[in-house]
Amino acid sequence: MSLLAPIICDNGTGFSKVGFAGNSDPSFVFPTAIATRGPASQASRGPSVPSKPGHLASKRGVEDLDFFIGDEALANAQTPGYGINYPIRHGQIENWDYMERYWEQTIFKYLRAEPEDHYFLLTEPPLNPPENREQTAEIFFESFNIKGLYIAVQAVLALAASWSSNRVTDRTLTGTVIDSGDGVTHVIPCAEGYVIGSAIKHIPIAGRDITQFVLNLMRERGEMANVPPEDQLKVAGKVKEQYSYVCQDIVKEFRKYDQEPYKYFARYEGEHTVTGRKYEIDVGYERFLAPEIFFNPEINSSEFLTPLPEIVDGVIQQSPIDVRRGLYKNIVLSGGSTMFQHFGQRLKRDLKQIVDRRLEVNAQASGSQLRSSGVEVEVISHKRQRYAVWFGGSLMASLPEFYSFCHTKAQYDEIGPSICRRYQIFGSAT
Amino acid sequence: MILLEPHNYIIHTTLAEKAVKPSSLDVQFVDFDGVRFRLSTPDRKTALVLSMNIRCWDELVRYGVHDILKREYGPLLKAEPENEYNVSLEIDLEQLPPDGEQRDAFFKSLALLKRNALAAPFELGFHAQKQLEAAGSGQGDLMALHYRDEEVIYVQASSDRVTVIFSTMFREETDRVFGKVFLQEFVDARRLPTIQSAPQVLYTTREPPLEIRHLPGLHDSDDVGYVTFVLFPRHFANSIVANTTITHIQLFRDYLHYHIKCSKAYMHSRMRHRVSEFQKVLNRAKTEQATVERKTVTGRSMTLR
Repeated sequence: MSLLAPIICDNGTGFSKVGFAGNSDPSFVFPTAIATRGPASQASRGPSVPSKPGHLASKRGVEDLDFFIGDEALANAQTPGYGINYPIRHGQIENWDYMERYWEQTIFKYLRAEPEDHYFLLTEPPLNPPENREQTAEIFFESFNIKGLYIAVQAVLALAASWSSNRVTDRTLTGTVIDSGDGVTHVIPCAEGYVIGSAIKHIPIAGRDITQFVLNLMRERGEMANVPPEDQLKVAGKVKEQYSYVCQDIVKEFRKYDQEPYKYFARYEGEHTVTGRKYEIDVGYERFLAPEIFFNPEINSSEFLTPLPEIVDGVIQQSPIDVRRGLYKNIVLSGGSTMFQHFGQRLKRDLKQIVDRRLEVNAQASGSQLRSSGVEVEVISHKRQRYAVWFGGSLMASLPEFYSFCHTKAQYDEIGPSICRRYQIFGSAT
Repeated sequence: MILLEPHNYIIHTTLAEKAVKPSSLDVQFVDFDGVRFRLSTPDRKTALVLSMNIRCWDELVRYGVHDILKREYGPLLKAEPENEYNVSLEIDLEQLPPDGEQRDAFFKSLALLKRNALAAPFELGFHAQKQLEAAGSGQGDLMALHYRDEEVIYVQASSDRVTVIFSTMFREETDRVFGKVFLQEFVDARRLPTIQSAPQVLYTTREPPLEIRHLPGLHDSDDVGYVTFVLFPRHFANSIVANTTITHIQLFRDYLHYHIKCSKAYMHSRMRHRVSEFQKVLNRAKTEQATVERKTVTGRSMTLR
């Protein structure tokens, strides 16, 4: 019997991406949310315990099956009696009860796969404690009896996804990953498939903050007056996704807009969700200001002031000296908030400036005539950036070697959950 | 979610999406029982090809799957199925039924492709029963459907009933126990007055039922269980009832395994709850560390910095 395609499951804080290996896009992308009976706040409360042993019929309840996940969960959040829960916080699974049921419905309702016939590839954030990995393995092997499991680090999969770009010549797992989703942005250096944990940096600017910033800008200009308040955040999100781009020079860009507003100002047309009334709003400076908060964070808030290129440079400088060249040469973008046009070019330019300046200073300080040959800086953007982690997983799992990297059910039964503490890195010699 | 839905979610959502905005695509996915699907646009963006590979195709052909698919899909059926697949449908996105309910029903029927294909032996069985009933006595052929590696569905018509036998295989000890309890419940539940009209269910482990005992190559181990459903003419009296019967019965195995997994998940959450309760008790039992103020000889107290 030919093997069925492995299932790739990338559960993020905001959204879960699930699908089958070999495809270029996940089959389902839905919020990592579960709507269960009972109020949402009492997350720590255990499941209902049958009051007294005795009559079997009293135990025949199916309350544990009464829940919704994904988009249906959000749709049912308002239904009386249901409360919405997010089992993943900051990339890590917080509530295993909910997560187990979430997976159960993902597999049986959406993917319609018999878990016993499939291999699974799951993802984990960098610095995930091994205990979490063991818990996950326990659920998958013992509840679902899956054939085999591989748990990959998201950053490594993002690196693998960049191989689809035609600008990548050597397929290496050394590089810096900038992963920017909805909640938080990580800068993660990887050397030969291993994450350099001590050098990872987090930036508290991500998709949600950009949307909020766009909303503020448009409110200040008075554009949002026509938009119903409940739709404003959604409209700001749409504007961000459809019209934003990264400029090379803010001052010049402002001048361009002021001289020829008709050419540069865009128009967004929306419809009131309830009344169906049409409205139009002008989209202006926020087109280039939105992604600018990565490069000049001071325009948004005064809490966090270091621009992204400086952070990336700092991360690479903290990494071991022998991999730094590799890290500069292969900076990979992943996640929806890196999708802005020209984002890569701008990052490359700014980073190159920082690096060249440092080389210059070094050369002067040493006083010698010898000059460095320069450091190559390359930022790679590709088509699959939005679901890069999932796509990387799909690439990896469609390789014939994938099965030899997995831990199988037999191995799990032999050794126990601790087997999943360690996984062999993809592409390494066996 | 108590019952599994018969239609394939991916087919339904992808088609609805592509109907609004056609674009080229090539996706492969699966359904229960090792069915593989491929949805692609080989020629142009508006011509989708949906192909299905099902492992017991040869048997299905013998039971007349071609007629059923022709009846359900008619002109959509491609004469030559795609390489590696058993059946292909061609969907022209430019000639869809009008938007709204009609279109949704069309997509739904496409999403039921696997269900319709697997319906062949059941429909044949129901048909044979009618004939036998008219003849007065006799037994129909025993139709076997090797729909999974080690598991088989047998369908046999008699003059007054149709017998459906599932052989199931539990690879895991825990599953076997859960499965046993579950299947026993099926047998018991029928005694309740509200579901008297449900088909009769019999369950045996290891020992095959009389209908199939003569077959060669039956597994003889404790992992194997046999579930027999006896369908009486009222369960397929008219086409609507017959269709729902087929839909439910062919998902029986997946339904069973889904619920075994759900029960395990429920058990696990109970266990986690219990562990945290025990931990609370343990924490209460901890003796408090006596903190004595320690002093130096000169009388100054030591503090932790």
